Amino acid sequence: MTEGNGAVQFSAVRLDAAGPSHPLSHLLPALPALIPVLVLLLGLDVFCLVSLVRARSVRNAPKLAWAIVILFVSAPLGAILYLFFGMDRSGGETQARPPRPAPSPTPIDPVRRVARPIGAAPPAVTTTGLTRDYGGTGLFDVDLAVPRGSIYGLVGPNGAGKTTLLSIIAGTRHADRGSVSLAVDRRRVAVCPDVPEFDGWLTAAEVVDLAGSLVAPAGHGPAEVAAALRTVGLADAASRRVSGLSRGMLQRLGLACALVGDPQLLILDEPTSALDPAGRADMLGLVAAMRGTRTVIFSSHILADVQRVADQVGILRDGRLLYEGGTRELMDTYLTPSWLVRVADGLDAVAAALAGQPWVTTVEPAEPDELKVAATSIAAGERGIPAVIAGCGARQVSCEPAAADLESAFLALTGAGEPAGLTEGARP
Amino acid sequence: MTLWRLEWLRLVRTPRALALAVVFLAIGLIEPVATRYASALLSHANHGAVIRLPKPTPAAALGSYVSEAAIVGLIVLVVGAASALGFDSSPGLATFFRTRVRGMWQLLAPRFTVYAVAGALGYLLGTLAAWYETHLLIGALPVAGVFAGVLCGAVYLAFAVAVTALAASLARNTVAAAGITLAILLALPLLADVRAISGWVPSALVGAPADLVAGTYQLPHYLPALGVAVVAGAGALALAVRLLQTREI
Repeated sequence: MTEGNGAVQFSAVRLDAAGPSHPLSHLLPALPALIPVLVLLLGLDVFCLVSLVRARSVRNAPKLAWAIVILFVSAPLGAILYLFFGMDRSGGETQARPPRPAPSPTPIDPVRRVARPIGAAPPAVTTTGLTRDYGGTGLFDVDLAVPRGSIYGLVGPNGAGKTTLLSIIAGTRHADRGSVSLAVDRRRVAVCPDVPEFDGWLTAAEVVDLAGSLVAPAGHGPAEVAAALRTVGLADAASRRVSGLSRGMLQRLGLACALVGDPQLLILDEPTSALDPAGRADMLGLVAAMRGTRTVIFSSHILADVQRVADQVGILRDGRLLYEGGTRELMDTYLTPSWLVRVADGLDAVAAALAGQPWVTTVEPAEPDELKVAATSIAAGERGIPAVIAGCGARQVSCEPAAADLESAFLALTGAGEPAGLTEGARP
Repeated sequence: MTLWRLEWLRLVRTPRALALAVVFLAIGLIEPVATRYASALLSHANHGAVIRLPKPTPAAALGSYVSEAAIVGLIVLVVGAASALGFDSSPGLATFFRTRVRGMWQLLAPRFTVYAVAGALGYLLGTLAAWYETHLLIGALPVAGVFAGVLCGAVYLAFAVAVTALAASLARNTVAAAGITLAILLALPLLADVRAISGWVPSALVGAPADLVAGTYQLPHYLPALGVAVVAGAGALALAVRLLQTREI
């Protein structure tokens, strides 16, 4: 074996007991050089062990396993392995604190900006023949027109193409054919994905600050950041690390990031999918409050949410736009309006009188004291039913629409059974 | 909060900065000691067998640091850079950034710069530690040679980060991006076997610090490799921007 100039020499001669001093004794004069090495290695191991002990949680392996790695894997490799693969990204020390209680639902305080008239203004978003073919699935010839200032609900079962359509409008995917025309400044378009993600080591306020600085470097400051967080009910969580937020809070944070840039067009993909009932109500209230001030397109498979806040609706199925128009018009057009009528007495007389009306299509008993009455139009039923009951001298207990909801309209429009993934939470 | 501050926070709030500093510092402190006491340590490890190695030289001690730093330090730098540059690995993060920046260069520039500078500072820190240990245990190193070597090492690490950016534009997965980068960087020395281009391959910069302090070569000898590293690094960044702009989430 040689090295360099070939001067490496091996000898099998063992040192005897009376031989020279212990080989490691040569190291003693080198203590000034060795001390920094020892300090570094020990310091790193101690740092990692302290961090491990104080951490609320670690990644990839239990704490005990990481302790063994730090202590027994060759220094500093064990400590470095822990730093990269074991240490919680949010920092062990911050996680060691007891978790703060979830912020109480701060009252929604939607900041209304300058109102923009809906009326004759051109649509905020227009798509023409938009097609993206993923081999039989995707989007096909979608012509969309989103009125400026409207709340536009995009409805469809899972896989209908909602996210693809929103991604193409947002510019994060390309269409194979067709075009997207925006009547708003591209820089004033904000997008909230269904699963917002942020760097876990930033605080909520820093994330919103970053979002604001990217879209409006000169137009935002701490006040705008605080207002955006307050608007979505995260004012109390401003200084919390993102890694400690629940998924529902991340969805709220995503909305705060969108709002801080004062967008003209807001694209929300399934904005309520991770929220509890109270959170859903808050989020929908917030979206509804934007009507007339911003254009909002939001997708959802929870039809009750769309019915509650959207004034325009587009129904997608298998990548094709089946319907686009007013939510109310959709139900009027595709539903046979019907009511459940309950009277205290004279049920047979009322049933006979209703059956004789030209605007009544069917009358059938629903319960012993209840009739289900179907009419040719909502207006005819709403005007005619009370008048007929009064004409019979019967005492009306109640008269309420029967299943006049968006889900029923959707099913009538598509002619399908209950579509998978479309009915969760849909019943009011 | 700017994208530059974001990258600074990414360095200091995650283990990246600490790992970079510790790895280069540890190698810088340990390698000269290992070089100086190699024969004693080997004898001890071989139950007292007498093993005589050539008398250690300052250049050999620094060369030992450089060869370790070019492997372990490079891996740590590339893995950290790949996780920062692979912003498309997470669709939510990709949407957050891509729908807000004017172009991919706005996103790429701070990430590349911060990591290239962090790698250079880590390398400098390790070199200073190796210099201290070498001076104490073996002998003095020429000042000009040391800093010329740091320049070569820093340029090579910046080139490595640029290759990482290109790899991150080819693969969304962080591990895949790091793997592609390391494969490219480890394959480059094979090109150096071609005599005609051996002086032009960026990997020639890896061994430059040892040769510069030993006086084997002077800095002008490495100018072709430095030039190629700078041009190829810029090309890798330009290609990465182009690929990222056409990539969908």
